[in-house]
Formats: sequence, structure tokens, C-alpha cells
Amino acid sequence: MKELSLHILDIVQNSIQAKASHIEIFIEEDLSINRLRISIKDDGIGMDQDTLQKVIDPFFTSRTTRKVGLGIPFFKEAAESCGGFFVIKSELNQGTYIEAVFQHNHIDRVPIGKIHDTIMVILHSDQQFDLTYRHRYNQKEFKLDTIEIKSILETEDLRSPDILIWIKEYIHENINELKES
Amino acid sequence: MKLKQIIESLQVEMMTESADLEAEITGVYIGDLLSLVMAKAKQGDLWITIQTHLNVIAVVDLLDLGAVLVAEGVDIEEETLAKANSLNIPILRSRLSAYDLAKKLSQLGL
Repeated sequence: MKELSLHILDIVQNSIQAKASHIEIFIEEDLSINRLRISIKDDGIGMDQDTLQKVIDPFFTSRTTRKVGLGIPFFKEAAESCGGFFVIKSELNQGTYIEAVFQHNHIDRVPIGKIHDTIMVILHSDQQFDLTYRHRYNQKEFKLDTIEIKSILETEDLRSPDILIWIKEYIHENINELKES
Repeated sequence: MKLKQIIESLQVEMMTESADLEAEITGVYIGDLLSLVMAKAKQGDLWITIQTHLNVIAVVDLLDLGAVLVAEGVDIEEETLAKANSLNIPILRSRLSAYDLAKKLSQLGL
């Protein structure tokens, strides 16, 4: 995909489908060791070991409408073609953990892209869940936690246009600041 | 245009065994970003790419593309060829660039 944030969107949609109540996205950019790590962790229904083996196979999907599901194979390929690696762990009824590591300056590594748009789209989902998004850039870190936002706004539902657009702009500004200094 | 006409005219290597040489190729798509190819390529297209990962075969299967033409003579993984064989997906290969291949295909009338 043209942006890593689209891979994140794809993987998080799996978490939502897996009925996760808490999803954690962590992006870690450490230029001192030239590494970009993206991890997504959920507490959804998870997979047994048999299914886990199959999801990295591009000819497998949990959807019956289509013969191939390509979100995980594409993400894995992206990491491996940029001098990195891919990890997936899952336990039935516990959740799933996915990690993609890239060589930060690899010429084929696509940009992280519009992560603020991705988070907004994720939060617009019909399902109810909480999301933590952390983004570390060298020593500095930005964190967004929907539990905190809900408590500040005294609402259980963030899916109003005003709130979503505010969150999107808040992320955008903070990530820009993180990378400026 | 039939696949065998393309193979003969372009002098490309046939990398798979079980392909139907009478298959009809109806267009050409060039691209190396699989997600974009998934969105843009059409059924029956000959897909020119330098990607050779197993995911290529999944995209061909999903879109029912006519064949894959690997440009620049790059190596193709065994796993990819095996899957292509099992699904009767033709994989061709040429030393030429995608641009040079496109020029020849254009001259053939595709």
C-alpha cells in the first residue's frame, strides 16, 4: 500500500471484526538505530494456532465471500521487503498482537502517511471499543487514549463529527510537533 | 489476443507449465504496488511487474488477470511458481524493462 497508515487501518479492522474492546496502536520511530516499529494489539476473540498459520497465507481469509484476504500478507511483505520483519501472535479468546518492523530509511519504505485520518476512520466504526494510540519519535512520545477523552467530554460515544474532527486535528498537530523539534 | 501470440512475438520465457496458451489477453496493466494493482487492473489483463512475491498470485487469482509478465529478468521464488502452477496461472519473464515490453505490446495492437 502507498502508506503504512492504510496497513494499520486494515489490521485494526480485523481487530474490530474480532470484537475487541480495547485496541492499542503503537508507532515507534527510533532514528538512532534506524528502526520503525508498528504494533497493533487487541483483546478480541483471537485465533487458534491452526488459523494463525493460515492468516499469513494470501490464499486464506475468514470471510467466505472472497477466496483471498490480503491485509496481513501485504503488511508482512512490506516489512520484509524493507529490511525488517513481521510478528503475529494470537491466543483464542485472549486477543492478537501484530508487529511490523522496518528499516526506517529503506528506499522502498512507504511513508507512515495520514495516520490522523486513519484514527478518525477507525473511531467512526459502528462497534464500541476503546483505542490507545501511542507514537514515539526518538525520545518524545504522543499518546491518545479514548478512555481519557470520553471521561473529559463526559460521553460514551465519540462518533460525532465535531469530536472526530477535533481528534483528527489534535493528532495531526501533535505528530507534527513531535517530529519538528 | 491469444497468450501464445504474445509469447512468440515478445520472445519471453514461459516460467510455468500448466498455462492455457489459447487464453485470451484483453489488456495490459503495469504496476508494482500490489494494492494499487488490485484496485486498477482488469480481468484478462497481462500484468507487467517486477514483484514476484506469492502475493502476486493472490492478486491475479482475485482479479482473474490473464497472465503475469515479470520484467527486468528478476528471479521468481519457487513458492510463487508452484502456486501459479497449481492455479494454472501463466507467468512469463523477459529481460526487457516494463517500458520496452509495453512498446512491443502496443505494436502488437494491445
